[in-house]
Amino acid sequence: MLVIRRRPGESITLGEDIEIQILDSTASHVKLGIRAPRSVVVMRTEIRMVGEQNRASALGLSTSEVEKLLQTLNKPSSEPISPV
Amino acid sequence: MPLVATGRFGQLVYDASEAIEFPVGLPGFEQHHRFVLVEQPELAPLVFLQSLESPDLSLPAVPVAAVDHQYALDLTPEDQELLGLEASQQPFPPPEVRCLAILTAPQDGQSTANLLAPVVINLSTRVGVQAVRSDARYSHRHRLGAPCS
Repeated sequence: MLVIRRRPGESITLGEDIEIQILDSTASHVKLGIRAPRSVVVMRTEIRMVGEQNRASALGLSTSEVEKLLQTLNKPSSEPISPV
Repeated sequence: MPLVATGRFGQLVYDASEAIEFPVGLPGFEQHHRFVLVEQPELAPLVFLQSLESPDLSLPAVPVAAVDHQYALDLTPEDQELLGLEASQQPFPPPEVRCLAILTAPQDGQSTANLLAPVVINLSTRVGVQAVRSDARYSHRHRLGAPCS
């Protein structure tokens, strides 16, 4: 992974027409401004992960998978957890 | 009563007042805005989020509490606005809110629950969102049966 140090107000350019500017930075957050053509999809990475996960969930469940899920879910959760 | 053809449940009869509106769809299914919750006693606590627009789109889910009884819901300001909720409300979430984790059960793998992005439904307004958290406290592939953090 390429690592670049930038300060608020500075920016980087990706390819010909994508610019990412550091707008603000605190100890816990970085605020980014992104300038890109409309055709470029920009989204939080976790939203893309959730989209992929939703598509996997939507593949459906067979009867045996439903049974397996119910078994796991209905298993008493009071089993002692062995110390690591 | 309206009828919808579904892949999983055949012809499904539902009450129009039971439809849930997802104003922004779900990640991966942004064009789907209307769902119903299909709950069958013999499948409890499993429920299915069935699309009213696409017969084959049915997502299995369970209440987040069935996966992690200490789950702490956290909504972004945008999601709070869509749902008409405020995080300052006590208790939070209020009782008219359902909070579900979508399940994934790969044919030859470990079943998981998405705790990173619970489906949150306000039953009094019939509005739902899949609330993707902005922290890293929970996984989108939490192994069912695994101890909770």
